[in-house]
Amino acid sequence: MRKAAGKEKVLGVTESLCPECLARIAARKVAGDDVVYLVKTCPEHGDFRTVIWRGTPAYETWAGEGGTTPAANVSSAGKGCPFDCGLCPGHRRPTCCVLLEVTGRCNLACPVCFASAGRRGDDPDFATVAGWLRQIRAANGQCNIQLSGGEPTLRDDLPEIIALGRSLGYGFFQLNTNGLRLADDREYGARLKEAGLSCVFLQFDGLEDDVYERIRGRTLLARKQEAIARCAELGLGVVLVPTLVPGINTGHIGRIVAFAAGLVPAVRGVHFQPVSYFGRFPQTPADADRFTLPELMRALEEQSGGKMRATDFRPSGARNAYCSFHAEYLVAADGAMKLSRSGREKTCCQPRPAAEGVRKARSFVARRWSAAGGAGTASPAHCPGTVTDSLDAFLDMVETRTICISAMAFQDAGNIDTDRLKDCPLHIFHPDGRLIPFCAYNLTDKAGRPLYRPQEVRP
Amino acid sequence: MDEQKLVCVKCRIPLAPGDVTLTYMGSNFPVKLPKCPRCGLVYIPEALATGKMQQVEAALEDK
Repeated sequence: MRKAAGKEKVLGVTESLCPECLARIAARKVAGDDVVYLVKTCPEHGDFRTVIWRGTPAYETWAGEGGTTPAANVSSAGKGCPFDCGLCPGHRRPTCCVLLEVTGRCNLACPVCFASAGRRGDDPDFATVAGWLRQIRAANGQCNIQLSGGEPTLRDDLPEIIALGRSLGYGFFQLNTNGLRLADDREYGARLKEAGLSCVFLQFDGLEDDVYERIRGRTLLARKQEAIARCAELGLGVVLVPTLVPGINTGHIGRIVAFAAGLVPAVRGVHFQPVSYFGRFPQTPADADRFTLPELMRALEEQSGGKMRATDFRPSGARNAYCSFHAEYLVAADGAMKLSRSGREKTCCQPRPAAEGVRKARSFVARRWSAAGGAGTASPAHCPGTVTDSLDAFLDMVETRTICISAMAFQDAGNIDTDRLKDCPLHIFHPDGRLIPFCAYNLTDKAGRPLYRPQEVRP
Repeated sequence: MDEQKLVCVKCRIPLAPGDVTLTYMGSNFPVKLPKCPRCGLVYIPEALATGKMQQVEAALEDK
């Protein structure tokens, strides 16, 4: 461990884990030279120092930008965070989104994978997944469902799972996918849409095949574009999800946003995920292997030529402020982007474009006017002489030309801060029935041994 | 409400359709609304204020 220089300042204390043995250890957030580190010492494995924030906006002021600061810390009676998940009384956020891993199989073999998915394995059968949906609904009431894996589209019965979930009252189903089957199988996409799929989160790392070869192990760009085209034909909204790896695609951020903006409203957003280090890795990741949220905000400004500004972005009010940011823009026909709304998102786990809220409001108002005067969205019949075409045009633009730019910083054994973990509203359903915060579920030690995820034998 | 019944309370003359520019947070929206030909008073129907204008406000700011 480097010796703390005299000008370094402790911004706060928390708890973290030893990356070697996953023992819970005290940690300090230490600022120095415009960089904030998580600094910790394992009695057995020594000192660790991991970058968690680089540059502006400043770490100290970011939480005041519309996010939340933790409420009073409630200790759990068990072994302490993060060893009592399921959830423990010390967890500060209720479940908002539940991620279901409906298969362990995948048709890719990415070096970067949260789920350590393999090519073979047994899926939980339909009755099992149906039982999960009923159990979650009974325990948590209304929450959003993310269908994930593995690659969930390898299941032929995914439409039936969504249809069942809809019949149980779930209002929002998101599909986390690499898009290969959506590109190839239009009929499958149509079945998903008909069953009630709300949104496709499409793994999309860049606009060059070299990026896919390095991150995913093969060229995929054309397939991604085909998947987007099929979704557009079906009216399935797509959010592009790039995993950002320093030195591979962190220079492609502006181009990804420009590409997405050219495809609104078929593409509704870009959700960036700086790489985190789960699974087996030979060496502790270096600071150069990490890309922090403020760097991403500044890259969005620099690489967009100033169409977006780092100051446009705000933390989420639904989770710890240091886990995410977002902003929404109106995209003009010439590609110009105007900040439309950078406040709190309407759902906890996926910032949704304002358009959806507007659409709901619009349909409500249209119904009311229809009942009153039968005039639909035209000028109110009871007040002739009123012409509001410019308002209509603006609302149409909001509905069809809004894009949401967001990011989420997941935590691994190097940078995990239990204060952040306790604020997590995105939970993964464990096959034994527990709900585990996303980062705790995916967390592994340096040798790839998981804290919670059932270990799978890779073929 | 019937247009013929809209009368300017100050000038005592009927309102007539007139050009108005609504401005909100730097965005301008040219519309036609009942307006007093003499003093320029503008009548904004309640359905417009609580409908489209409110939606535009919500889209332009954090609401």
